[in-house]
Amino acid sequence: MNTSSSFKVFASPPLIFSSRPPKSASQNPRFSYQLPRSCPKSIRCMRDSVNLRSSPNAPSALSFATVEAPLGTKTSDKLRILVSEFRSLTEPIDRVKRLLNYAADLAPLDDTARVSANRVTGCTTQVWLEIKMDEFGRMRFKADSDSEISKGFCSCLIWILDGAKPEEVMGLRSEDLSEMNVGVHGKEQSRVNTWQNVLMSMQKRTMSLVDADVAHRGGERPPHHHKHDLLFKYVNGSYMESSKVHHDYSISLLPLYYDFTI
Amino acid sequence: MEGVAMKLPSFKSLAPNAISIGHRSFSRVRRSSSLSVFSAASSSATVATNSESVSLGHRVRKDFRILHQEVNGSKLVYLDSAATSQKPSVVLEALQNYYEFYNSNVHRGIHYLSAKATDEFELARKKVARFINASDSKEIVFTRNATEAINLVAYSWGLLNLKPGDEVILTVAEHHSCIVPWQLVSEKTGAVLKYVMLNEDEVPDVDKLREMLSPKTKLVAVHHVSNVLASCLPIEEIVVCAHNVGAKVLVDACQSVPHMVVDVQKLNADFLVASSHKMCGPTGIGFLYGRSDLLQSMPPFLGGGEMISDVFLDHSTYAEPPSRFEAGTPAIGEAIALGAAIDYLSEIGMPKIHEYEVELGKYLYEKLSSLPDVRIYGPRPSESVHRGALCSFNVEGLHPTDLATFLDQQHGVAIRSGHHCAQPLHRYLGVNASARASLYFYNTKEDVDSFVVALADTVSFFNSFK
Repeated sequence: MNTSSSFKVFASPPLIFSSRPPKSASQNPRFSYQLPRSCPKSIRCMRDSVNLRSSPNAPSALSFATVEAPLGTKTSDKLRILVSEFRSLTEPIDRVKRLLNYAADLAPLDDTARVSANRVTGCTTQVWLEIKMDEFGRMRFKADSDSEISKGFCSCLIWILDGAKPEEVMGLRSEDLSEMNVGVHGKEQSRVNTWQNVLMSMQKRTMSLVDADVAHRGGERPPHHHKHDLLFKYVNGSYMESSKVHHDYSISLLPLYYDFTI
Repeated sequence: MEGVAMKLPSFKSLAPNAISIGHRSFSRVRRSSSLSVFSAASSSATVATNSESVSLGHRVRKDFRILHQEVNGSKLVYLDSAATSQKPSVVLEALQNYYEFYNSNVHRGIHYLSAKATDEFELARKKVARFINASDSKEIVFTRNATEAINLVAYSWGLLNLKPGDEVILTVAEHHSCIVPWQLVSEKTGAVLKYVMLNEDEVPDVDKLREMLSPKTKLVAVHHVSNVLASCLPIEEIVVCAHNVGAKVLVDACQSVPHMVVDVQKLNADFLVASSHKMCGPTGIGFLYGRSDLLQSMPPFLGGGEMISDVFLDHSTYAEPPSRFEAGTPAIGEAIALGAAIDYLSEIGMPKIHEYEVELGKYLYEKLSSLPDVRIYGPRPSESVHRGALCSFNVEGLHPTDLATFLDQQHGVAIRSGHHCAQPLHRYLGVNASARASLYFYNTKEDVDSFVVALADTVSFFNSFK
């Protein structure tokens, strides 16, 4: 139920190489690809966080089906598919067209969600991002923009990340998405790099929701991971107030070095 | 006479004095000859296509190597000069020459290189003074850019002279660099900022500005030519009214000094700022013009070497202007290169550059407005209204960023999209962003044609997805 809903965003599955295994991505989140090298530490952390959430009201084991699978299967493979799809489009205009197609597929955003709290700052276009954590602790995203190309970016990001676990959201790096960069030549963070700004916003707000969730449940925070303090020093075109509050959870992202050997 | 006058090189025969900087007869010459020329030349076909003459844009292109390249498989069409201009090779050579042959710190050394560097640096200051007809080169303070120059006035003059309840008049169309420093200083001093809105021609309402003036007004800070609206404000008139109530006037001349004759004595402004990089000079240098008596009365802005007279442990005494406001080692090579840019522009002649741009700008406006669903901001060009050579616009249903991305990617056309550092203006106009194509004297009619064709292609591409 939950896994299929994350694909609602796309009316049609992305095009993939004919050499791909016949099972299309939209039907089965698990693929017979070479899985990313996952270190035991990450799984242990994952289990820790699962234990954190265990409560009398915990859903049945079925909803945690993907927990048993090695970390990052879903997100990393979706990313791989999307990257390879864009890589196959050698003409820039075809990439633009593909992005515009994805823009059309983006689920509409309620007018009530177009508020300044949901604005992704630092973009030259207007982007609104709505983010929730569902009852299973997965991140749900909806977005909209006044620019069609930005909508296309959002559509791709949401396809990858909607329904993902917080750790998977945190594990995605903007460099992983550079293949999809349409028309933006520079790699540096700037106002025109919608990718980076939207992704950072997704990650920053995911962290706040996880923080709030953990606090709400009164759970014990796992050891702190420094990596993302650096990430958030310069966010969305403005300096974040340096977090005096320690983010004490370990977002175990180290194994998510996606390997694109296609 | 009119037929001859259409050829730009022959402009000299009409007004032999017009080339000299700040010559007063220029305005009389323009009114009598050039307007009739342009009413005859209103159809696009006559813009510099006379086979006997080559347009200014075509003639100077060889001096700008950067323009001769391909981007994304198409010839580069650079239409973003309002953001920064391209530099002719003489300017680049001047910069290289400085570093290669006489780089040395200025104002300090005894030795030969230092003396030469100092001479060239001070010569550049004189060139700037002459270019804007300042009475004395001591009235030119070199800064990093116009933004820093405005901040200098805000923090040095503003903090000293603005008291609680004093008023500073700005327009809603100002660049952020002429809004934010005043906000910062008004917070510290208790001064109040007042904004002039636009009239129905989409130009700041000068009548309203006059009404706003009162004995409480201490400063009027306005642009000369708007980087979004392309409108030109009547600075002389504004200065007269402002001085009548005892207020000073700061002119942001970033979009005017590069494109037309600007005479600070004629304008009678108290302060004027401009940036080198918009006028064929390098980045990293700009200047503040300030009337001698005003600069004399102002305390330092940045502290350090060069701006002092004597330094003790518990206090220091300060140098005379302009040194008082030039702390530390200046951008020496850049100032010298700015001098070279001024020489280059003066050799062509600012009146000639302005005439060419008025014509080309009008052509751009006409071609752009002939496309459906295009909304151009600012006043319509007419006999009495000369727009700057830029058009900020929006296309119905198409975000300017998407437009600019596609233009660049598919056609090699470089325009700007966003708020152009004028967010209050965009909010006033009811849009979040706009696209802007801006010209300089090295652009040609073919550039405008390529842009319009590319724009039409872009619009139809995005429409096909609707």
